[in-house]
Amino acid sequence: MPLDTSTTYPLTKLRLDGRRWNELRLIHAQISTNPASSGSSYLAMGNTTILCSVHGPAEGRRGDATGGAAGSSGAVVEVDVNIAGFAGIDRKRRAGGSDKQSGRVASTLRSAFQSHLHTYLYPHSTISVHVSVLSADGSLLAAAVNACTLALVDAGIPMPGLLCGCTAGMSGSASTPRDPLNDYLDPLLDVSLPEEQELPFLTVATTTSVPTGADEDEDDMKVAMLTMDSKVHHTYIETMLAVGVDGCKQIREILDGVIKGSSQR
Amino acid sequence: MAAQRQASSASQTPHLSPAELSYLYTSLSLPGTPIRPDGRSPTQFRPLAAETDILPGTNGSARVGFADGTQAIVGVKAEVERTALGIQALSTAEQQDYAAAGNDDRGGGNNGGSKQGSVSGSGQGSWVQMAIEIPGFRDDDALPVFLAEMMREPLVESVSGGGEGGMVGGLKGRLVINRRWHWRLYIDVLLLSQPLSYPLPLLSLTTHLALLATKLPKLKSKGEEDPFFDDDWNAAEYLYPRVKSTKHSSIPGSISVHKVRPPVTLLVVSVAENIIFDPSREEIAVADAVLAISVTYDTDFDRLKLLSIRTIDPPSRLTQPGVPNSENVATLGSTTAAEESVIVNPSTGEEEVPGVWRPRRGGVKRATIAKMIKMVLEKGGVGEEVLDGLEGVEVG
Repeated sequence: MPLDTSTTYPLTKLRLDGRRWNELRLIHAQISTNPASSGSSYLAMGNTTILCSVHGPAEGRRGDATGGAAGSSGAVVEVDVNIAGFAGIDRKRRAGGSDKQSGRVASTLRSAFQSHLHTYLYPHSTISVHVSVLSADGSLLAAAVNACTLALVDAGIPMPGLLCGCTAGMSGSASTPRDPLNDYLDPLLDVSLPEEQELPFLTVATTTSVPTGADEDEDDMKVAMLTMDSKVHHTYIETMLAVGVDGCKQIREILDGVIKGSSQR
Repeated sequence: MAAQRQASSASQTPHLSPAELSYLYTSLSLPGTPIRPDGRSPTQFRPLAAETDILPGTNGSARVGFADGTQAIVGVKAEVERTALGIQALSTAEQQDYAAAGNDDRGGGNNGGSKQGSVSGSGQGSWVQMAIEIPGFRDDDALPVFLAEMMREPLVESVSGGGEGGMVGGLKGRLVINRRWHWRLYIDVLLLSQPLSYPLPLLSLTTHLALLATKLPKLKSKGEEDPFFDDDWNAAEYLYPRVKSTKHSSIPGSISVHKVRPPVTLLVVSVAENIIFDPSREEIAVADAVLAISVTYDTDFDRLKLLSIRTIDPPSRLTQPGVPNSENVATLGSTTAAEESVIVNPSTGEEEVPGVWRPRRGGVKRATIAKMIKMVLEKGGVGEEVLDGLEGVEVG
């Protein structure tokens, strides 16, 4: 049951788990966790835990409806998301093997990585990504984006830059226009499950632009993916987006450290 | 992934030529000392790494990884549920209380329970639910459903004696809170990689460890009250009760911390006269018979007890036969020999040409099955070795 953040937050300026508005949860990540796949990763953002494994690029299966023609220009990315029955607080079993949430996460990941990766290097092939959610505690899509990025890096699939995801919320319903003089709502970085159920939030993923010349800024970020399921007044979007993009920047440094740390070993 | 879906029930048959199959079969059927492709001895298991309590959101969890990279994670979740009692069940429960005479073990498994009289002890097998997730397979595909049932069956049917650290009525009895309430156990098995070999041993070992690590909150209410639990997780009790090993120093041979343990299911294949444990995919492909043997530790007799045996459809049935040189037109074998043997179709003929693969047609000698069971159950046998190895994994 979500506790009422919107009443306690203005008083304490501390969130339910004791974080300030601009603090990320603890991120722990590893790559090359599963030797049986081309690339694999483990990522824990707070209590959200995700395992990801990548197979391929490999020859696509035959007799597929989209086979042949679709893969002729570049690799096809397949994403399969499995939210374990024990991931949530209550054990959930969905009928038929897939539910709405995992289907949406899978299709978002698929379209994000299909356009992000340099797929033109691998015509007539398939890159299949398998995401297992072991424990879901908010920011599921953002954590899945980060885990997939790590696994794809481990598999050695070329991409222009790391794709890093993060969520940003608003501490209140934020349904009325923002008043610039009396602005009492704070944006929140990296929302957890109780916050996610109660507050409006968006998920943003950024990447660095392809370095083309010397004149470009190193820190130039491009938003590659942006989704939002909840309602918020449009005047707040800019603030939330700014906070989310800043969170992505922090996550990029963490993921960078994980990748560099594992290559030194 | 679609190709894997049409897998036979035993495993995905590797694409081996008749010559390779014949070579494998010959080396595995060498009398006394089979030569396995990976150099293991017939009873040796693949090395594995295991850990427990990896998921804080579950009642118990475990991860096991084989050296070839196949990994499985098991999470156990328990929920309190109201027992739906039909009139018939209610009356039998009362009968059992008064008569204190057990029905047959299959139906009730509660002889000890009703004698003690503390709880009406008959649980139901449907309170334990098992779901297996294998990448590339749907939940309702044949392989996951068959595997889940194969592991759930010995789990709920195993019955053990009472006494200190014992479990009255087995797992089913342990799930009873009182006459109106019970625990429902959800066992979710995730196979993290494509099944390189038949995943049964891996999944069974992981489930065993996860169940050993499973804790249920301590009950504070008494008798027939609505259940009410201690919210201190440190006070929680293990699903499979443990006894302090120091207390039992008087009893020789019971060093184990768990007196009652969940069953393990071992995969055993026979090739000619040889028995081979923990087979790899290539070994299953040439096996004469594939058996899944479930055993548990019998506390009353201090030895292993056989719970169930299931035969698994061996994929060697579906392989292509080899053609002997004498009959092969391409090799221009002596025509006279070809004419002689043309009566005998190579795939149905009874004669066995050495070095030529003939698909196994199933069937196994009773003596071979008896030998398999003996090797699993005997003192110092494979079953004991596996259970001892699992005891070495630190739980909790």
